[in-house]
Amino acid sequence: MPLSIKTYITNTSLYKSAAKKLNSVKQKGLDLIPNAEFSNEKFLNCVDYIGKNFSSDKQRLVLGATALVTQPVIDYYNKNVDEKTRKVSVARTVAKILAGTATGFLIRYGCIKSIKAFSKIPGEGVPKYKTILTPKGVTDNTTDAFEQYRNALGTIISLGIMLFTNFLVDAPLTKFLTNVFIDKQEEKNEVRK
Amino acid sequence: MKYANSFFSKKGLFERYGENPGTMLVHTGLLGWILSSLAQITAIVANDKIPSEQKKFLIPQEAADGLVNIFSFYVITSSFKLLGSKLVSTGKLASKNIKAFLNKSGVQNKVGKLDFNISRMENFNEIKSDYKSFKNGVDVIASTVGSIVSCNIFTPIVRNECAARIQKRLIDRQNKPQSDSNYYPYKISMDNYQKTAYSKYSSPGLKI
Repeated sequence: MPLSIKTYITNTSLYKSAAKKLNSVKQKGLDLIPNAEFSNEKFLNCVDYIGKNFSSDKQRLVLGATALVTQPVIDYYNKNVDEKTRKVSVARTVAKILAGTATGFLIRYGCIKSIKAFSKIPGEGVPKYKTILTPKGVTDNTTDAFEQYRNALGTIISLGIMLFTNFLVDAPLTKFLTNVFIDKQEEKNEVRK
Repeated sequence: MKYANSFFSKKGLFERYGENPGTMLVHTGLLGWILSSLAQITAIVANDKIPSEQKKFLIPQEAADGLVNIFSFYVITSSFKLLGSKLVSTGKLASKNIKAFLNKSGVQNKVGKLDFNISRMENFNEIKSDYKSFKNGVDVIASTVGSIVSCNIFTPIVRNECAARIQKRLIDRQNKPQSDSNYYPYKISMDNYQKTAYSKYSSPGLKI
C-alpha cells in the first residue's frame, strides 16, 4: 500500500528532528507556568457557568465594553496624526464601538433565541417546522452540547444578517453618533474659550 | 464542496461545537472578520461614486487590511485558546476534584508534561463530567481574553501604524511633480476633488 504524502513527510528525519526541537521549546514554555489548583466553589461555579452559558452574544458585549476602555485611549495617543484628527478619530471609534456592539449583540441574541423555537425534538403535537433546525438522530435538546449547537447556528445566521445591517444600521448610526460626539467636543471647546 | 456541506450541516455543527464552545467562539469570530472584510470590499466595488482608478488602489488595500485583521485575530485568539486547553489537559490548571483524581491515579509526576492528556487516561470516565465543565469554562475564558487582546489592543495599534504609513504615501504621491502619471493636480474641479477624497485611508475594524 503506497504511503500518503503526510506519512512520508512525518517519517523523514528532518521532520522528526524539527518536531522534537519544537516540542522541547513548547515544554520549556509550559514549565514556566506554575501549577494551579482551584478549590473555591464560587469560582468553580463561575467557570462552569461561563462554559455553559457564555456565547457569542455575551462575548460581543464583553468585547464592546473592553473596546470602549482600550481603543479610544490607543487612538488618543496615536502620535502619527495631529490633535484635531486624533479627536475626530476618538469620536469615530467610540461611535463605531457603540453602534457595532448594540447591533452585534441584539442580532446575535435574537438569532440564538429564535433558533430555540425551530429546534424542538420531533414528536406528537410538534409541527414539522419547529424541528427544521434539529439535527437528525438527536433525541434530547436539553443537553449542554445541544445548547452549544444552538449558539453556533444562531451565531452563523446572525453573521449573515449582519452583512446587511452593517450597511443599513451600523454605518448610518456610526455617522450619526460621530457627528453628535464631534458637536459636543466643539461645544466644550467654545465654553472653554 | 462536499466537505463544505458537511462542515455547515446541522449534524456537522452539532458534532463540531457541541462539546467545544471555545472553538466555536474562535471559528465564528473568524467568520465574522472574514465577512466584515468582504463587506468592506463589496462596499467599494459597488460604490459608483468611486472612480475605477481609485478602486484599483482601494480594493487591494482593503483586502490587505482584512488579511491582517483575520490573521491576527486567528493567531492570537486560537493561541490563547490552545494554551488554556493545554494547561487543563496536562493538569497544570485543575479544579480540586481533578487534582484529587490525578493524585488518586498516581500520575502526579506526569502533570504538566506535553504528552500527558487527562482525557486519554484509562479511568477518565470517573472525572469526565467535572473535567469537561472545567475545560469548557477555561476554553471560553481563554478565547474571550484572546479576542480582547487581538481586537481591542493589538489590531488597533497595528492599524493606526498602517493608516499613518498609507496616508503618508498618499500625501507624498500628491506632492510629486506633474509629469508623474498618478499626480493629482493642485487646481482640480470639485467633482474630481470629491472623487479623490475617497482614496483617504479609513480602516474598517470589526464591524459585525
